[in-house]
Amino acid sequence: MSHFVTSKDIPTNGEHLDKGKLALPKMVTGGIAAIGLIGSIAFFLFGSGSAHGSYAFSWLFALFFVLTITFGGCFFTLLHNLSNSGWGTSVRRLMENLGFVFPFMILFAIPLLFHDVQQYLWEWMTMFRETVGDSKNASEALMHSADPHNHLLAKKTFYLSPGFWHFRFFFYFIGLGGVIWLLRKLSIAQDTEKDPGVENLFKARSYSSWGMIIFGVSMTFLAIDWVMALDFSWFSTMFGVYVFAGSALSSMAVLILTSVILQRMGYLKKVVTPEHHHIMGKLMFAFTVFWAYVSFSQFFLYWYANIPEETRYFILRNTGNWNVLSLCLVFLHFGLPFLLLLRSDVKKKPGFLIFISCYILFVHLADVYHMIIPERGPSVGLVVDHQAQLWLNGSFFGDIIALVIVVSGFLFFYLRNLGSAALYPHRDPRILESANLTN
Amino acid sequence: MSTRVSRVYGYLAEFNNASQLYKAAEKVRDAGFKKWDCFSPYPIHGLDDAMGIKRSILPYFVFLGGLTGFCTAFILAYSTQVGLYPTIVHGKPANIFTTAAFFPVMFELTILFSGFTTLFGLLGLMGLPRWNHPLFASKQFSRATDDKFFIAIEARDAKFSAEETKALLAEIGGANIELVEDDSK
Repeated sequence: MSHFVTSKDIPTNGEHLDKGKLALPKMVTGGIAAIGLIGSIAFFLFGSGSAHGSYAFSWLFALFFVLTITFGGCFFTLLHNLSNSGWGTSVRRLMENLGFVFPFMILFAIPLLFHDVQQYLWEWMTMFRETVGDSKNASEALMHSADPHNHLLAKKTFYLSPGFWHFRFFFYFIGLGGVIWLLRKLSIAQDTEKDPGVENLFKARSYSSWGMIIFGVSMTFLAIDWVMALDFSWFSTMFGVYVFAGSALSSMAVLILTSVILQRMGYLKKVVTPEHHHIMGKLMFAFTVFWAYVSFSQFFLYWYANIPEETRYFILRNTGNWNVLSLCLVFLHFGLPFLLLLRSDVKKKPGFLIFISCYILFVHLADVYHMIIPERGPSVGLVVDHQAQLWLNGSFFGDIIALVIVVSGFLFFYLRNLGSAALYPHRDPRILESANLTN
Repeated sequence: MSTRVSRVYGYLAEFNNASQLYKAAEKVRDAGFKKWDCFSPYPIHGLDDAMGIKRSILPYFVFLGGLTGFCTAFILAYSTQVGLYPTIVHGKPANIFTTAAFFPVMFELTILFSGFTTLFGLLGLMGLPRWNHPLFASKQFSRATDDKFFIAIEARDAKFSAEETKALLAEIGGANIELVEDDSK
């Protein structure tokens, strides 16, 4: 321990990001996001043809990538409160800021409410609307329709019905968004309270108990509603855990990146040490392994049992060039980061952490791409010219455009959150314990 | 008294609390001793640094152990299930793509071999199991498991000297300094 941090080292009013430095990046990202969002909405409303459908998938891909990261922010905040942790008090505000991007993302989820977008993404909605119409009993109507594909949907009408789907859509943003808003509010209130004690901490812990349940439900069912339902005939009980593993991993990468970059800019110098980065690196390592464990379990059971309606997801992804991506994920999403993160000393080196966090984010992007995009060829092909395809030429540009727009939006709100409060809870009773961490 | 010659094990000094022990350990470290140890009833965070202990080489053994397990499992499963006696299950191919079916075995053996290497490597590096330890000859040492903290500097250390080491231990706050003799033989 080079220097023992005492309360004299903690500024009375906390560390704040320099508003002047933030103005330009906020303007750029906010501008791209706003123009992009409006342009995309216009395209979704008035466009047509295969580019239209293809861009709907690009949008879902970009949005879901960002959502997984914000989910992880919510998760680590809840976990930190719930487990009564002391180590991470100095980085807890970063987790709260990252999680609090989630409720704002509803802006970027607006296009998913358009019928024109839904018809490409979720075939079951079209089937439901066309077949059921005004009929009272949806299940009966689907069962007795001429198209045998509808029978698969008939048994799922309780869950897969447009009304319930839209209810859940808003529930996720209001429910989980409300939880993270509440926790961040409690934490920030402590910064300025006259008599800061443990009251807010205890409150945050008790809120986190049921908050964690809302988180689990929201994350799992959002993944099921938006991604698993791209092919409504497929089902996997492992899917929510799979998405969770990726989101915890990628959000830890973002948290490490943020804290290292903030330190390079001269913030958090007193309270965040290589020991914190070591712990965060260990969490990233743990979730690398967890991701591999869960994704392999999911694949393995379906591959072994080999039952037609269960293997659709993997057959599509193991066909043609998609198989290359699947195999790459095994070695690049698990093998390489596993070996790189194995040594303990590298997890304390900021330079290496920047590299590995960017790398993890990149492979996570590939993972989300692998979850969503293979469904695009068949779906858009069927809607536009009744011809299922594996790959739509030129659709890649849409992915990049959507990604730039949504990630800009994410960065804008993340910077806004970082700038709107102190960078760490400087009046938390355990801030000194955290600053003097050894592990 | 008999004519038995006993070998000197080293000096044992008693400390009252963890923070005394911690500060004393830093001074012993800075004095350049190599063969010495601290004894405390409970783990003390950061004592490794205060003692200047280098990282153990055990992780490298464990990595190699795990790698051995991984390769053993792959070779075992692949050579038997694909090479010697191809087993067709559910019409799945018996070739390199069958590897998915071997992953559980590969995982298990990696864990098993690394676990064994950890346990036996640790015992080997610590010189355990052993029947006795010279420090057990000291009457006061039994309090190391109760309420006292000790530092023992071994006579094997190149810097050890009967007078100066004792003086050092006294200077850094050690009480009841005792010359422990190895009475095991």
